[in-house]
Amino acid sequence: MAMAINLGYFIKESAVNFRRNWVMSLGAVITIYLSLLLVGVSMATGFIVSDVVQSVEDKVSIQIFLKDGAATEDVEALQAWLLGDGMVDTVNYVSKEEALERFKEEYAASPEMIENIRENPLPASLDVTLKDPREVQAMVDKIIVNDLFLKVCDRPDDPEQSLKYGQEIVERLFAFTRIIRYIGVVFVAMLAVVSLIFINNTIRLAIYSRRKEIGIMRLVGASNWFIRAPFLLEGVMQSLIGAALAIITVMGIQAALLPWLRDTLPFLPVDLTGSAMLQMSLVLVVAGIIIGLIGSGLALRRYLKV
Amino acid sequence: MISMRGVEKYYAPDAPALAEVNVEIEAGEFVFLVGHSGSGKSTFIRLLQRELLPTKGQIIVAGQDVVRLKNWKVPYLRRNIGCVFQDFKLLPNKTAYENVAFALEVIGRSKHVIRTQVPEVLRLVGLEDKTESYPDELSGGEQQRVSIARAFVNRPPILLADEPTGNLDPATSLGIMSLFNRINKTGTTVLVATHDREMVDSMRKRVIALESGHIIRDQHRGVYGYGD
Repeated sequence: MAMAINLGYFIKESAVNFRRNWVMSLGAVITIYLSLLLVGVSMATGFIVSDVVQSVEDKVSIQIFLKDGAATEDVEALQAWLLGDGMVDTVNYVSKEEALERFKEEYAASPEMIENIRENPLPASLDVTLKDPREVQAMVDKIIVNDLFLKVCDRPDDPEQSLKYGQEIVERLFAFTRIIRYIGVVFVAMLAVVSLIFINNTIRLAIYSRRKEIGIMRLVGASNWFIRAPFLLEGVMQSLIGAALAIITVMGIQAALLPWLRDTLPFLPVDLTGSAMLQMSLVLVVAGIIIGLIGSGLALRRYLKV
Repeated sequence: MISMRGVEKYYAPDAPALAEVNVEIEAGEFVFLVGHSGSGKSTFIRLLQRELLPTKGQIIVAGQDVVRLKNWKVPYLRRNIGCVFQDFKLLPNKTAYENVAFALEVIGRSKHVIRTQVPEVLRLVGLEDKTESYPDELSGGEQQRVSIARAFVNRPPILLADEPTGNLDPATSLGIMSLFNRINKTGTTVLVATHDREMVDSMRKRVIALESGHIIRDQHRGVYGYGD
C-alpha cells in the first residue's frame, strides 16, 4: 500500500520536473536517442552483415579444375585423399557437361555468350567444401603440393590457376565489419558521454528548482532514497523515452530499407529476424536504463545533499 | 530527552562556536535558549538535528547517539524532532493543508492517516478556517502557525524552534508562544532559541543562556538576563 502511494508520488514528481525543464529534458532525450539509435543501427547492421558473411562462407568452396582426359582412377584417388582430410566436409565431382549446364544457367540472361560456344571449353572439376570456411587457405596450401593434384589438374605448369576459392571475399567482409564496429564503438562512446552530461545537467536543474521542497523533506525526515528516487526516475524516464524512439526509428529504417536492399542485392540474403530485433530492443532499453541511472546518480552525488 | 556532554564545535580552529557544553533536558520540559546573534544558538539547534556534527563530545537525542548515527538513519532521527524557523519555510505553491500534508506524505504515511491528522493539527493551531489558503494569503503569525502545525503533525517527542517570533510583532509572538506552551502540555519537549527578551521574561521557563559558545547560565523559572 505504502509502496503504491510512493510509486504514484515518484512518477508524478518526475513528470512535474520534466515539464518544468522541458528544454533541458528534451536535449537529454535527443542525445540519448541519437546515441541509442547509433547503437541500434550498428547492431542491426551487424546482424545483417553477419548473416551475409555466414551465407558467403557457406558458399566458399575450393574448385579444383581437372584437365581433359585425366585418368579416372587418379581423380578418384585425389577425391579419396581429400575426403580423408579432417578439414574437408564434402567433395563433389562436376563433369564437363555439368559445368556447361551450370554455365548456361548462370548466363541465361545473355544468350549471345552461350550461342558463341562451339565445343565445351569448360573443364571438369572437384568441388570441395570445408567444415570451417576460414581454413580455406590452409587447405589450398595442402592441395597445391599434392602429387595427385599436380597429375590431374588442368594447368600443371601453374597449379595456382587450377584452383578457385573465395578466401578474399571472406577476408574483406570480415575486415569491413571490423572497421564498422570500431567506428560504431567510438561514436557510441562519445554520444554516451554527451548523454551523461545532459542528464547530469537536467537533474541538476531539477534539484535546484526543487531545493525548497528538498530542504523541507530533509527537515521532516523523508528518507534519503525517498528524496532521491524522483530524480533517478526522471533520468531513467528520459533515457527510456530516448530508447523507445531509437527502437521505433530502427524499425522504420528496417521497414523502408530492407526491401530496397533485397532488390539491389538479390544474391545476398539480407534479412533481420524478429529475434534479432528483440535482442537489439532489449540492449537499447537496458543501455538506456544504465545511462539514465549513471547520469542522474552523478548529479545526485554532486548536487543533492541528504 | 536531550543530553549534551562535553560538546565542542569549531568552524575555524581558533574560535569555538560552542565549547564545554553540558546540558540535560528531560522529557516534557520547556526550555528557552537565549543569547546574542553569534552566541551559538543556531549551532546548538543544528547539532541536535544532526545538520552538523560536533568536533568533540557526546549528543543523545530521543535515545539516539547522534554522533555515531549512521547517515541513512538520520531521517528517522529527524522524524522525532519537529522544527520551526524564523522564515517559516513553507512551500508557496501549496495550501496550508497541503504544506502540512506534505510532511506526512514524504515520510510515507497513508492517505487515511493524512486525512485525519492534518485537519486535527490545523485545528490545534487555530487555522481550521484557513486550510485552503496559500502562504501569501496568510499573515506572518498564521504562516508560523502552519509551520508549527507541520512540525507537530507527526507528533514528535521534541519540538525545536529557531527564532520562531523573529519576524512577528509582540502580540502575534505571544500567540505563538502560548501555542508552544499548549504543545508542551501534551508532553512534548520544547526548545525555543530566541532573543525575544519580553517573551522569555513573561513565560518563566527554564532558560539556558549562551555567550561566545559557552553556557553562562542555566536557570529554572528564569528570565532573559541582566542588562546588556
